Amino acid sequence: MNWFGFLIGTCTLFIIGLGFVWVIRGERYLGYLWWPYAMSAGILLMVLSLFVTNDYASALVGATGASLVWGSTELKEQAVRGELGWYPFHGRKLHPPLAEMIKKWKAPSL
Amino acid sequence: MELNFIGPACAAATFFGVWLGHVSVRKLEREVERIWIPATLALVLGIGLEFASFQADSLIVSAICGILGVTLLWDALELAVRQPKRVIKGHAPANPNNPRHARILERYPTATTIDWLDRNPRGTPYAADELLSVKDELK
Repeated sequence: MNWFGFLIGTCTLFIIGLGFVWVIRGERYLGYLWWPYAMSAGILLMVLSLFVTNDYASALVGATGASLVWGSTELKEQAVRGELGWYPFHGRKLHPPLAEMIKKWKAPSL
Repeated sequence: MELNFIGPACAAATFFGVWLGHVSVRKLEREVERIWIPATLALVLGIGLEFASFQADSLIVSAICGILGVTLLWDALELAVRQPKRVIKGHAPANPNNPRHARILERYPTATTIDWLDRNPRGTPYAADELLSVKDELK
């Protein structure tokens, strides 16, 4: 019996669950304009997972990267949810570097 | 240096599992009247994939089955419980052509056909009267 997939699947469920938390908290205090940074970090982790020799670690680094990329596409909708009053709204957000440029880009939403 | 493809395989399974699940849950919950049918299918398929993950010899296949299995199990919960709650609260648009949603629209004043999330963030919260006027405009 191969427990690898079940264990990785269970850990991935927790990683996805943590994704909900960081998207909600991250958007509240930082704002949705951080999406390119979250997406880049996720892509970087996915590439990094190629070079991790331990199978469990490689799988978890890859899943974390994918969860970050997915979360980056959720930030825009989460910002709207906060503005609509479905989640607490925090007015003083910490804007990312190059915020004015990022505002001109279309934020991804899948 | 030897490359380990388990990580990228898990990344792809996680991303596509979450993405396809997210899109399918919204679409199926909106269109299907007897929601228990796709929810049960997702549950059975999820359990099946978890069993397959135990049987697979390859670590990559086992991991992909394990990850897709848990995302399907989560989708079953979303279909049966969480998405209908969003429709009742008005956080997801109801489909008046779906008899189940039509009943929700009749019974719950918070339910709406408006997709509130189909807009760009503006940086300031909406006031209650502003939300009412947006609702009237979109009706």
